[in-house]
Amino acid sequence: MWKKSALVLGGVVAGFINGFLGGGGGVVIVSLLLSVLKLDQKKSQATALLVILPLTVVSAVVYVVYGNVDWRTALFTTIGVVAGGIVGALLLKKLDSNVVKMIFAIVLILGGVKMFF
Amino acid sequence: MVFWLIGIGFLAGVIGGMGMGGGTILVPLLSFLDLGQKSIQATNLLSFLPMCVVALLLHNKNHLVCKRNVGWVVVPAVASCILGAVLGQNTHNDTLRACFGVFLVLVGLWQLTVSIKFAVKQHRRKKHKLVCRHLPKSIKKGA
Repeated sequence: MWKKSALVLGGVVAGFINGFLGGGGGVVIVSLLLSVLKLDQKKSQATALLVILPLTVVSAVVYVVYGNVDWRTALFTTIGVVAGGIVGALLLKKLDSNVVKMIFAIVLILGGVKMFF
Repeated sequence: MVFWLIGIGFLAGVIGGMGMGGGTILVPLLSFLDLGQKSIQATNLLSFLPMCVVALLLHNKNHLVCKRNVGWVVVPAVASCILGAVLGQNTHNDTLRACFGVFLVLVGLWQLTVSIKFAVKQHRRKKHKLVCRHLPKSIKKGA
């Protein structure tokens, strides 16, 4: 019973973050799947996509309905993201993932601080 | 502008492709350009969609997606997501920006803690292996 309650609560938190901030729900979902369902890292990340996909579609629809989409910006950024995604997937095997994670965490903190200026 | 958009997207895509949440880094990077926070967040959502679909199909093919119990997460998540998204549309861009900043700092600190803990654990394990390798055979047998 506690497991289902934790899943529901985690889902509520992740969904709200994803809708309000336009992303970021994945971090919560992966942690939830790791800790509650005891899935391994790979399966947690893969399964999180199954949750994130409907969240992203629903959030995007709301942003479109409210007219907050700059289609030109979205198009060119998406081209970059798709190309970078392929390179990232290829690089994954060649780098020490923990070192990359540490660097990424520092970049996140700096990015977060930058948002205030 | 087009060059910057593709470049920023590429950088976030590389991080996303490595499975580390490219979306979380795309937002602060796009904030360097003259764009509203809501427009940035919408771009983040839309640019993530094609990658998400392809990755999900691939992971499903490799039997990495566990569908059991996931419904308990998806249904409440979608409901609160609509609420969050509607609330976000009615929130000032500066407030949203500050909230995203707080979120990034928290996630960054948490990830840094996890990766440092993992590195320390790995270092200890390596040290232990090295000590065991140099122990005399008599002691190894006794142990």
